[in-house]
Amino acid sequence: MRAARWSKLALLAAGVLALAGLTVSPSYAANDTEIYVVQGLPGKDLDVAVDGESVADGVKTAKVAGPIKVKPGKRKVTFSENGTTVLENTFSIKEGSKADVVAHLPASSSGDPLVTVYKYDDVKVPNGKALLVVSHVAAVPPADIRVNDQVLFANIANGESLQLMVPVATYKVSIVPTGENKPVFFGPVSLTVKGKAINRVYAVGDPEKKTMNVAVHVLAATTTGSGKPSEVNTGTGGQAVGKGPSLEVNLAR
Amino acid sequence: MGALCLLTLLCGCTAHASSDTSSGGDAPRGQSSAAPARLGRPAASQRVEFIPERLILPGHAGAAVLPAGTVDGVLRVPENVQHVGWWDGSARAGEPFGATVIAGHIDSATEGIGFFVRLRKIKVGDTITLRADSHWLKYRVTSVRKIPKKALATDNQALKQKGPHRLVLITCTGNFHRDRGGYDSNLVVVGRPLGLAH
Repeated sequence: MRAARWSKLALLAAGVLALAGLTVSPSYAANDTEIYVVQGLPGKDLDVAVDGESVADGVKTAKVAGPIKVKPGKRKVTFSENGTTVLENTFSIKEGSKADVVAHLPASSSGDPLVTVYKYDDVKVPNGKALLVVSHVAAVPPADIRVNDQVLFANIANGESLQLMVPVATYKVSIVPTGENKPVFFGPVSLTVKGKAINRVYAVGDPEKKTMNVAVHVLAATTTGSGKPSEVNTGTGGQAVGKGPSLEVNLAR
Repeated sequence: MGALCLLTLLCGCTAHASSDTSSGGDAPRGQSSAAPARLGRPAASQRVEFIPERLILPGHAGAAVLPAGTVDGVLRVPENVQHVGWWDGSARAGEPFGATVIAGHIDSATEGIGFFVRLRKIKVGDTITLRADSHWLKYRVTSVRKIPKKALATDNQALKQKGPHRLVLITCTGNFHRDRGGYDSNLVVVGRPLGLAH
């Protein structure tokens, strides 16, 4: 039992490593109004249409399709499988904005699938760092996301997201119920974040049906900040020399 | 509070789900009248991360914090010796990893004694506060060290952007060499955050 579980985890881990960095979008084009489609429904290959026009075919589970240029305003997205509509919803998008349009399971696996739209703007990311945005779109109750054995993303419910700036590194990630250590809904898996980028990670699937996975959408970001200094020169006068603590006593505080 | 939020969310979720399916009975018929998709939103536990704008040392001594860039390997701190500089490639206050680096003058040839002369009095256990608008985060000083200037770049604590979050204050200290225009050492103060940023 235990051995079987670990081998499954190993498989999942391999899956994540393969996924990371697969969907690296070109740098953020500020003027384009674009969506990406995230396929979070297990066991389906979905065709996607916007306003009735086909934009992606056969998107597999945990895959991301895009960028798809759309007109600003109210749009309609249709997810279908073999010609049968699975989900159809409208969403609004402003000119120059971006959004991930996610087809996924609700918190309770007995409910109907739904579409959640995560809108985002350009974010500046320093060299050597990554913006990590974690979204919960899986059939699990509110959860904690443990990163390197520490709860970095706490109490996140289906349809919510949390973001943090992190150094570029490989992190051990697992998803557990809020405030608990078990049952482990997903992981631990190794996730390597990509630098100077927004790393959008979606937890998808249903642990009871063993379909938990992550979809990773990496979007190049505008960089900010300067490199690491090798010198800090902050005394050019010498007035503080030898004045010692007595100097500070006389300073107006 | 948390339970209420969750309840609202779940209700919203159910309501959408029931009208989402194309075969659903609730949606008006005859036109393209699909229901609006749900909007993803930040969880209530979203951490606060902010670029520091004000530094407060023990005794309520405060200074403006301005962004400072690295040019030719040298961190360009504000010329005004009463201001200090936040290295713009370092962590913002409240990030989970990396040093928030703030450097300032101990003195300058043109402006005299600087704000960071006060670092000579800082002791382990002292509290330092960073602020910006309504945000704030307090740090407790865990070490005060004098290190040779050449050792700063490779110091394990001072500038590194990995490892647990910390506040690092840097100024100059040691022997002053007028012919070389400066001091031979850096004073490095490290503090650990007292909880999360507000």
